[in-house]
Amino acid sequence: MGKEVILRQARGMQLLAVASAAVLLLGVSACGGGDDDSGTGDGKTKVKVGLAFDIGGRGDKSFNDAAAAGLDKAKQELDVEVKDLAANATESENDKYERLKLLCTSGYNPVIAVGFVYAGADPATGPVAKAAKECPDTKFAIIDSVVPGSNVASLVFAEEQGSFLVGAAAALKTTSGTVGFVGGCDTPLIKKFEAGFKAGAAAAKAGTKVLAQYISTPADKCSGFNDPAKGQTVAEGMYDQGADIVYQAAGGSGSGVFKAAKAKGKLAIGVDSDQYNTADAAVKDVIITSMLKRVDVAVYDFVKSVSNNTFAAGTLTFDLKKEGVGYSTSGGKVDDIKPKLDEYKQQIIDGKVTVPTAPTS
Amino acid sequence: MAAEPPAAVELSGITKRFPGVVANSDIHITVGRGTIHAIVGENGAGKSTLMKILYGMYRPDEGEIRINGSAVRFTSPQQAIGAGIGMVHQHFMLADNLTVQENVVLGAEKLYGIGGKATAKIREISRQYGLEVDPEALVEELGVGDRQRVEIIKVLYRGAKILILDEPTAVLVPQEVDELFGNLRQLTAEGLTIIFISHKLHEVLSVADAITVIRRGTTVASVLPADVTARELATLMVGSELPSPETRESTVTTTPALTVRGLTVLSAAGRTLIDGVDLTIHKGEVLGIAGVEGNGQAELVEAIMGMRPAAGTVELAGDEITAWSTRKRREAGLGYVPEDRHRHGLLLEAPLWENRMLGHQTESPNSGRGLLTTGAARKDTERIVEQYDVRTPGIEVAAHALSGGNQQKLIVGREMSHAPKVLIAAHPTRGVDVGAQAAIWDHIRQARHDGLGVLLISADLDELIGLSDTLRVIYRGKLVADADPATVTPEQLGLAMTGAAEQPSPAVERISAAVEELKKEAPKGEQA
Amino acid sequence: MKTRFDWVRLLPPLIAPLGAILIALVVSSIVLAVGGKEVFPTFELMLDYGSQPGSIAAMLDKATPYYLSAVAAAIGFRMGLFNIGVDGQYRIAALLAAALGGASFMDAVPGVVRIVLIVLVAMLVGAAWAGLAALLKVTRGVSEVISTIMLNTIAGGFVAFLLTTDKLGVQAAGSNAVTTPILPKDVWISDLPIVSGTKDGVFGFIVVAALVGVAYWFLLGRTRFGFDLRAAGANPSAAVASGVDAKRMVIAAMLLSGAVAGLVGLPQLFGEQHAFTESVGGLGFTGIAIALLGRNHPIGMAFGALLWGFLERSAQILDLEGIPKETVTIMQGTAVLAVVVAYELTSHVTKRLQQKRVGESVATPAPTGVSA
Repeated sequence: MGKEVILRQARGMQLLAVASAAVLLLGVSACGGGDDDSGTGDGKTKVKVGLAFDIGGRGDKSFNDAAAAGLDKAKQELDVEVKDLAANATESENDKYERLKLLCTSGYNPVIAVGFVYAGADPATGPVAKAAKECPDTKFAIIDSVVPGSNVASLVFAEEQGSFLVGAAAALKTTSGTVGFVGGCDTPLIKKFEAGFKAGAAAAKAGTKVLAQYISTPADKCSGFNDPAKGQTVAEGMYDQGADIVYQAAGGSGSGVFKAAKAKGKLAIGVDSDQYNTADAAVKDVIITSMLKRVDVAVYDFVKSVSNNTFAAGTLTFDLKKEGVGYSTSGGKVDDIKPKLDEYKQQIIDGKVTVPTAPTS
Repeated sequence: MAAEPPAAVELSGITKRFPGVVANSDIHITVGRGTIHAIVGENGAGKSTLMKILYGMYRPDEGEIRINGSAVRFTSPQQAIGAGIGMVHQHFMLADNLTVQENVVLGAEKLYGIGGKATAKIREISRQYGLEVDPEALVEELGVGDRQRVEIIKVLYRGAKILILDEPTAVLVPQEVDELFGNLRQLTAEGLTIIFISHKLHEVLSVADAITVIRRGTTVASVLPADVTARELATLMVGSELPSPETRESTVTTTPALTVRGLTVLSAAGRTLIDGVDLTIHKGEVLGIAGVEGNGQAELVEAIMGMRPAAGTVELAGDEITAWSTRKRREAGLGYVPEDRHRHGLLLEAPLWENRMLGHQTESPNSGRGLLTTGAARKDTERIVEQYDVRTPGIEVAAHALSGGNQQKLIVGREMSHAPKVLIAAHPTRGVDVGAQAAIWDHIRQARHDGLGVLLISADLDELIGLSDTLRVIYRGKLVADADPATVTPEQLGLAMTGAAEQPSPAVERISAAVEELKKEAPKGEQA
Repeated sequence: MKTRFDWVRLLPPLIAPLGAILIALVVSSIVLAVGGKEVFPTFELMLDYGSQPGSIAAMLDKATPYYLSAVAAAIGFRMGLFNIGVDGQYRIAALLAAALGGASFMDAVPGVVRIVLIVLVAMLVGAAWAGLAALLKVTRGVSEVISTIMLNTIAGGFVAFLLTTDKLGVQAAGSNAVTTPILPKDVWISDLPIVSGTKDGVFGFIVVAALVGVAYWFLLGRTRFGFDLRAAGANPSAAVASGVDAKRMVIAAMLLSGAVAGLVGLPQLFGEQHAFTESVGGLGFTGIAIALLGRNHPIGMAFGALLWGFLERSAQILDLEGIPKETVTIMQGTAVLAVVVAYELTSHVTKRLQQKRVGESVATPAPTGVSA
């Protein structure tokens, strides 16, 4: 008997396995969702804009919503037809390519890919590059990545510059001398935020201690952009270590950071949009400023360029100069140091200060 | 027995069809209140189906059931229990690690709670009906007879007035049987009614007040025990003469086929299950092992088959096979008819020809050079079906579709087809109908004649005595006594099986003396 | 006689999945109707879009890793082992194989040799990772369900640890993703233009997937090892009694399952991304669902994988029309659950039918030992 015990299986296990597989499948793709239908449809003459969101889609109160805001603005002001599609958490590069291709073959032009995931592992052959090749007459834009192609505009941001300013703000505002940075995912893109933040803090007040931590890695599919509970835990840890201001570059997880700040009676800095206005009313008073990454501006400008035929392929960097990045003042918590911050801003614009794009330590 | 109306149970015209098969047809039975009513019939005659109908597990297609005069229609055992019917199953359904009281109360907590009231009720039942059991005792410490009493108390506790006992003596030694019958008589004296299912005729004759014989799904006779002999009853049961397992001339040689020395098996917990067993089976010899179930027979078999780690040595036809795997042992000529064919002998969902390969999948005609030779295996399966009279429409049928007897014939045929040197046969005819039983005995005898050594384990003492050349008795993992099948009676064997020979040594002499003594006053056993 | 039985034996494997798909359609119809969407136009839309040449190519692409994953799971299932760890096995296998294949010291090695090397390494790593669970089971009695789930997590950790720019990872110019070094073109497996009417080819690796399917069929149905494995799955105690070495069998089955799992990430590695990235996951779990849907049958699983691919592909069009594509997810989940139930039901019916036929032809009383 001893031996066969090894082989004997509870038959119930089979059902369990089925159930768990089903739950996994259901759970894993239970995101995405809401999309708008374009209202007016009278025409051939109208520009039809197709936009493919990153995982999370509309309603993430951060990156995707910023892109959506730009799209909505374009729809209103430029009188274009729009269609947006969301990505699934489990999909492959091929799915992303197919989504872009579906948009361009359905007559959408331009097509905007939101997020570096659309560049793929190898931007030269990834989803955007492949779709652009497949639909050579369609104008493509990709946000946060550089993709080659004569019909592709790569819209990237100087996040390090904006982060420098909020870093300076944090250093000027801290009373404990320690501030924190929470990144959503340990990728080069988010490292730019960290690098700028650290540089800004050091420039404003030498000796300011900056704690930095990432919630996830690409290996867990950057789940840290969508995990408020974990964001809260990490931020709480930082506050317990003496930080009194934490800068979050963690997308949807940011709400957890704000909650932690509220609970501990500390402060936080938002990211991407002006989060003093978009965050939960209960926690807004902890947000002293937000690093603005004007994805909305990039999207709107791009659509505009296509509709008035000034599209230009290649890399377009949205920096302080172009007002593509910046910091917010809603709530008035940084009004006192605004002159100082604007001084740094001018120095960066003038090229007197160069902000690193990768953290030094 | 003149039953004063209304009868406790009255079945009239009961018919139950399974798809394509009529399991019960036009059954008529009247069971008087306060009587022991035996229902006899060979395995597969439809007794169990009938009892499942009465117990609400099946619904009859036709016919009427009356309990105490009023017609009932059960759709579940719960309803049958509600009507005062209780079933004591052949296999005990007790949790070993719980006490008697806990086992009895389990599932019936609403009746008397789980505390003192329940204990008092159990004591009351056991006093009233003379069923002596300590409610505080752990079931695992109880003997088989005690366990059966617990099962009976269980149904009485639930308010049963009509008890169905399904082959209650199958697991008992003769002495325990007598005790059980005493209990049953006391129960009927208290006004309870007992339906007693059996195929052991002398038991039926000694305990029943009335007997109904079932053959091929229908009632063929209702008789009183005083009016029939065992032989007449047997003839009613099978419709023809009973076969006998007896082996006539000896074919035992002096060449050892299987030699076991100092075989010791421990349980996972370190308990000794087999304790230094020595035995030798010669070519042409059937060595029977008698013993109450659970005394180490299964472990002995599994150790010899290499399915269980064991200390000691095993030699097969001169080869030391102690360290060999089960597969190597089987390839070397160790045939195996397992005790539980569903658990150890068959792939129920697989077709017959795949079952023919099982256990010999490395051998011709089933495979060669690592690849299955399904064509040859199929062909050979046809042969086995033919030679061993496996009743099946074809070899693509899944094993579960066959009756128990036909499954067993397939297994015996398969094992015999690889020219075994030694056959380990555990309960080779259990649950097999009379015809198949005789066929299996014939095959074992024939193989023995051809020089096969057989280790026979059986609970059927008639089979053991009739088929064996040598008999050993196993008790608590030890071989405690020898008996000569030519002279020993089932009663004597039964006494030895209870461990009566255990106390002082030398054990063998004691049992021999006991046997001698018993012989003088032995009631003549109906040895059909 | 024989032929009369065949349809009875074929009943459950055919009826069960078809019934399950029907149930899935009904459930998703209800969901659509409740959501105020038109039911039949939606299905028609899916069918239309899903049957376009481009969609068929995409469906085959999707089905390729799904099928491999399903076979990997099925090898375990057939002997009653629940390898829930295909996901972890293929991820760590694909990472290490891709890292080796793309490493700079391999530059001098010809492309074909590198391809073979990548495949072998992936299989070895997958097998080794699954082997850990097997070892735990035979030496310590740890349930493989638990250990493979844990090993999935550990594999994720390993991948995260190794896939950084200072270890196995690199960052392509302009990309934010950290990947293994991008394979040179001669290590790619080019797409096969087997679907006419579209420029999109199908993963060349689909050939390997098909071969794995054939090998699976042959191994299980035609070899002694396969018989042992099936016996161990069908009735473990009878298998042990028949001479199957339980421990060795557990190890062999797990190693095989893991080796096939190691292949799961390769279609995309060779044909799509040309590097290992963490943008993809969950293929291992999809495989379990497909193995269940296809009843572990080599052809059944192929249909299951294609169906899965078709559904996922046609879900894309729903989005464009403003119909929630979660409808498809519901369909998939329902189908898997329904197929298990449907299979139990039909096999019960088949059992009864077989017993009836045997009963008729041998005309003996009902096999009491088998009923109930």
